[in-house]
Order: sequence, then structure tokens, then C-alpha cells
Amino acid sequence: MKDLLRIKSLISTEIESLLNQQVKKEAYSSSVYLSMASWCNRNGYDFSSDYFFKQAEEERLHQLKFYKYILDMGGNSISPEITGIKQEYNSFREVFEEALDQEISVTNAIKNIYARCLKEQDFVTVEFLNWFLKEQREEEYKARRALELFEVIGEEGTGRWQIDKHVGEIKYNG
Amino acid sequence: MITTLTQTNQWTDVFKTSKGAIYQCDEERCWYVDFAGKVAKFDYRCLLKLRKSVYHINIEQALLNTTKDPDVEIIFICACDHCYVLTLVQIIALKELLEGTFVMLELNHILHDKLVIGQ
Ligand SMILES: [Fe+2]
Ligand SMILES: [Fe+2]
Repeated sequence: MKDLLRIKSLISTEIESLLNQQVKKEAYSSSVYLSMASWCNRNGYDFSSDYFFKQAEEERLHQLKFYKYILDMGGNSISPEITGIKQEYNSFREVFEEALDQEISVTNAIKNIYARCLKEQDFVTVEFLNWFLKEQREEEYKARRALELFEVIGEEGTGRWQIDKHVGEIKYNG
Repeated sequence: MITTLTQTNQWTDVFKTSKGAIYQCDEERCWYVDFAGKVAKFDYRCLLKLRKSVYHINIEQALLNTTKDPDVEIIFICACDHCYVLTLVQIIALKELLEGTFVMLELNHILHDKLVIGQ
């Protein structure tokens, strides 16, 4: 009996569904960053606003990368429904705290898919995920750096203005 | 129906229960589902859609449902030629049939995998 499942698709149904969950997670990240960009803009943090606009766009690209990979492998990509995006933040600092939380949860999700791939010996998807692991290194670094500015500069006086200015300059040369 | 089955010797049994059977046809790269009095052809996409729609039915809830609606579900699969109108008992039987089938297909996949790696 031919292995028809394999002929039609390179990835298993389990991996396919995990990848679809990741599509949704990236889309969610993109929406969260967009909301953060709006909040920062409304509150006068222009550099941070730009920073989050850029992040939102990057997350959208991540989403598409997963989306197209699933299709290329013979799977079914599912366009996600995104709801429950927080629109208001209590403080400038809270925005960055939640940005880091979001990146950590994305890294964990990718690690989880990776583990499943190894278990199934799906080395093709492992190779695909390597790019994302490297990306997460940068994403977490930037989010952590931004949060550190609150410690280094301090929020008193013109502190927040200074922090905002420096957020625009965060770079990762890993 | 029985005549159709005897004509086609290139079908491989994938899984059988007392209520139905699923066969694979390598040549056509598809499956034949013998259930509820008909034999229906399913390609890969449609078989996955059938599984999804059957698994999605909340059997427990339907059993507890005391309204006077008839206990039938209509399984309509988008972009497939087939439609099933089934009673709850039949849905349970179809679910069992599909579960067994996918275990066998998965097993077949593992065997192919090991054979390739072993070469
Ligand atoms: Fe991302
Ligand atoms: Fe990210």
C-alpha cells in the first residue's frame, strides 16, 4: 500500500496544526505591536511608536513565512482570527514589559514545535525553524534592552523622554 | 455495492468494522469509503475534511440534547461530491471507522519511513 499521506504532504497533521497555531501567534504579535505603536504615539513617545510599527510589520512577515511554508509543504494554511487586543496601557514601562513577555511566549512556542519535529524526525521543518530561533534571539535581546533603559536612565524628570529617544537606537549585532 | 467491491482487486483494505470499511486505491491515489449504504470516493483533501467534520460533532452534547429535533446530523463537505445524513449511532460508527483508518495510515507511513531509512 502506497504512503498516500506522505505523497500529498511533507509535514504531518500534528506539525501542520502546530504551524497554523504559530501563524496565529505571529498575527497576534503583530496586532499587539500595532496597538502599542498607537498607545506610544498618543502619549508622545514617537521613537517607541516607530519602533513598534516596525515590530508589527516584522511579525506580519513572520506570519506569512509560516503561512507559505505550510502551503509549500502541501498543507492547509488557515487565516487566523485575532481578537482580544489590549488597547490601553497603564504606563510607558508596562508596554515594554508586555512586549518582552510576548517575545518570550513566541520563543517558547517555536521551541515546542522544534521538539515535536525532532520527535517525528521532521528535519525539513527543523531547518525551516532555525531561522526563527535566530530571529527570536534578536527579538528578545531588543525587548530586554528596551526594558533595561528604564533601569539605566530612570523615569524621573526627563527620563521617559530620554528612554524613548534611546529605544529608536537599539540594534542587535549578533 | 458488493459487485463494485469484487470488481476492484487493486483496492487495499485499510480498516474495517462491522458497520463499514475504507479501502485505498494506489492507482487513483484515493480512498473508497463504504459506509451508510454507499461507496464514496475521497481524495486526500476530502478525506481530511471528512475526518475534521466528523470529529467536530459533539456526540456527548447531542446525546444529552432533549429537544424534539430528530437526532440526525448532515455532514456536508465543502468541495467534495458527497454528503452524509447520519443518525447519532451512525456518526459514532463512522468516527470509529475513521479513527481506525488514520491509525492504519499513520502506521503505513511509519513503515515506509523505516524502510527508506533502512535502505
Ligand atoms: Fe515573530
Ligand atoms: Fe517578534
